[in-house]
Amino acid sequence: MVVTWRAAALMGLGVIPVLFLPANGTVLVWAAVVVLACLADVLLAASPRRVAVQRRVPASVRLRAEVTSELVVRNVSGRRLRAVVRDAWGPSSGAGPGRGSGDRVRPAAGGPGRHHVDLPDGEAARLPTTLVPTRRGDRAAGGVTVRSLGPLGLAGRQVTLPVPGRLRVLPEFASRKHLPSRLARLREMDGRAAVQIRGEGTEFDSLREYVVGDDVRSIDWRATARRREVVVRTWRPERDRRVLVVLDTGRTSAARVGAAGSTGAPRLDASIEAALLLAALAGHAGDRVELLAFDRTVRARVAGAAGPRLMPALAESLATVEPVLLETDWAGVVTQVRTRMTQRALVVLLTTLDPAAVENGLLPVVDQLARDHTVVVASVADEEVARLRAGRDTVAEVYDAAAAARGDLERTAVTTMLRRYGADVVEALPDDLAPRLADEYLALKAAGRL
Amino acid sequence: MTAPLPAPAAPHPAPVASPSGGPAATAATAAEPPVVVGDDTTGRSRAGRTWRRLRWPLTVLAAVALLVLFLAVVRPATSAAPYAPDNPESGGAMAVAEVLGDQGVRVTHVTSVAEATAAAGPGDTLLITPNPSFFAEDQISALNRTGADLVLVQPDYSMLAGLTRGVVDSTYGEPAEPVEPQCDDPAARAAGAMRLRPNLYDSSDGSGEARPVLCWPDGNGAYAYARLDLADRSVTVVGDPTVIRNDSVLEDGNAALALWMLGQNEHLVWLVPDPMDTSTVADEPTPSDRGQLDALMPPGSAPVALVVVLAGVLLALWRVRRMGPLVVEDLPVLVRSAEATRGRARLYRAARARGHAAAGLRAAAADRIATRLGLARSSDANTVVDAVVTATDRPKQQVADLLYGPPPADDAALTELARRLDILESEVHRP
Repeated sequence: MVVTWRAAALMGLGVIPVLFLPANGTVLVWAAVVVLACLADVLLAASPRRVAVQRRVPASVRLRAEVTSELVVRNVSGRRLRAVVRDAWGPSSGAGPGRGSGDRVRPAAGGPGRHHVDLPDGEAARLPTTLVPTRRGDRAAGGVTVRSLGPLGLAGRQVTLPVPGRLRVLPEFASRKHLPSRLARLREMDGRAAVQIRGEGTEFDSLREYVVGDDVRSIDWRATARRREVVVRTWRPERDRRVLVVLDTGRTSAARVGAAGSTGAPRLDASIEAALLLAALAGHAGDRVELLAFDRTVRARVAGAAGPRLMPALAESLATVEPVLLETDWAGVVTQVRTRMTQRALVVLLTTLDPAAVENGLLPVVDQLARDHTVVVASVADEEVARLRAGRDTVAEVYDAAAAARGDLERTAVTTMLRRYGADVVEALPDDLAPRLADEYLALKAAGRL
Repeated sequence: MTAPLPAPAAPHPAPVASPSGGPAATAATAAEPPVVVGDDTTGRSRAGRTWRRLRWPLTVLAAVALLVLFLAVVRPATSAAPYAPDNPESGGAMAVAEVLGDQGVRVTHVTSVAEATAAAGPGDTLLITPNPSFFAEDQISALNRTGADLVLVQPDYSMLAGLTRGVVDSTYGEPAEPVEPQCDDPAARAAGAMRLRPNLYDSSDGSGEARPVLCWPDGNGAYAYARLDLADRSVTVVGDPTVIRNDSVLEDGNAALALWMLGQNEHLVWLVPDPMDTSTVADEPTPSDRGQLDALMPPGSAPVALVVVLAGVLLALWRVRRMGPLVVEDLPVLVRSAEATRGRARLYRAARARGHAAAGLRAAAADRIATRLGLARSSDANTVVDAVVTATDRPKQQVADLLYGPPPADDAALTELARRLDILESEVHRP
């Protein structure tokens, strides 16, 4: 049972008869008229429980991409349905106003996802609502609320129908803009450049005739001796190497990074961007990519996906990974890596160079990893700390800068320790981490250290 | 050796990587979503659910209501107001009121002057217990006009002056030994020797028609009891309220005096003044007041106002009904990563740890300069200073002071140090 502004307006019109007959009785009679009109409207309204509703949503969408949630509403009430229909989505789904247009459907004011519907009995209409999700993960839809009004539009009935709906929001993968340039460099290394360059890769590929410009150090004298012409060895980067990306989803990944003033984004989001770019690059380079999201247990795992199936599998499993407010169990990470990687592999640890957390967690175990594998520790730096470091205007800012400098020194110490144990360290601001990590991978590949 | 040659046209088109492997939004909807009609309820099931939801609150409410009703019926109505005839505690006066009631006196308990003037008339007794506040002038004259016999217990100055026509006044005295009444008053004689606070005295000039009878003197001209007989009624004043209090009514002759004073007439109006009470006579507000309000308003405004109020109620009903429930969503924690750094900065500042702060700034600057000059991270202070002197042409002492000098003395010195470190750093270039 709902009333609309029309009921209030009708009640307000009662001023006119009251001015002619100024008595309390007139008011009572008018109020009775309004109540009766509202009751009649409620009784004459189409039942909102006799409306067939279907919600069509794409299974998944990339973060910040636009998608349409569509309600198909069919009037099976036996009466004309005049209603406002709300397609309810949570705030992070970024629902916009209703988008329908036509005789039967038009957008309604009052909030996102609302539609005016005017349907004769037995007819159906589509009610599209634009969603632009602002947060990764599974976004569950709320119910569909149908407010059916009577012929006078004074009052009606309202019910919220439990229509299921779920939209999986995949990581944005904004770092894919860096992919073409890295792929070009990969192809250069991969031997599709005009000239084979010694040092780009260590795996013996083939012998071919010398052309001007080839590195003379790559001339194979033994083969040259057997033939008339000068023969060079060609090398290519190793293929079918294993890359394991470990995402730390522990408490340090929950901290927000980003410019001051904004709410920022969790560190984990930047780590995911870096992981996706690295995986895309490594996948194209012919390496076998595995992924592990871990804090104290395995939160997500992708293994055995290759070729065109790799990136969808990664996006799907990373979509629902959320930071957990627990200390990461690095000994557990080592155990996981040991069981999954029996041969030498590139192990990329996407975590945070938080001095206390690293000293207690990662440092004691990193040498065990570095003994068997190539280890890269990648960390998301904070833009706001970088800004604090440069502040000089007030005394408070100088203290901030001093604290930031002290933190830098501690991080540098930790980085030095990690390097001493044989791990490479990449630390960069959220937007730079993905390309920097990709460059690190290319450098390792070029150096044949995979 | 680097790769100077440009890459030829890629033999295969540059792959476009997308996590979904297709267009931005995967249009493939896995299976046809279900069609929902209704919320699987009927009128009956909804009523049942409402009943199930409300039955426990209703049960509790009903139980509480029953309990209140039971207590109201079983327990006599009592109050905690001092000197009230229904207050059984030590400060009350229920004992006297009950005995009077048993003896056939009708006791009417009132708490405002308006009620008192309405209830008391000629031939009644009007008891005024001690007033925690003061009566207004018009309240006292209203009490005077009732025509009832007045009994005043510990009256204040204005009441005494207004109700005894100024022939009795109050003073201050402490009760000494019990004394005989030493007067010709039946109530006093019935009570006998008593120990009452003597705080009344005769202030009549002797010319008036009425002279008070004063009893229980203290020898200094003060009395504990006064009785003034006027033409149509009497006014009795007792300065000491212990006469009617539950805890002291059995001492000496208190009971006799109280019953004698209050039991003279069939009907006793017992006024326990309320400090908030400003009424004088019943039937307020007077019709004339309302007429004034009406005169200020245009005719018919009251019904119009009612219409507007009802329309407002409907507007509120329209706005208050939400379009379906809120959609809840778990949000991730909102802790900024820089908070740890900011917290540390505030600790430095609160502790005035300028030495610590300066050491951090200096070490960071030295670290960056050393990196820029290609020095090893493990280089000692002298090496760094020498390298900086070579790179900047600054005096050695100045550079050493800047990078490794004593901690700054105050915040201004710290700010200055930070600024000069920046300048030094900007002057250092790769050799």
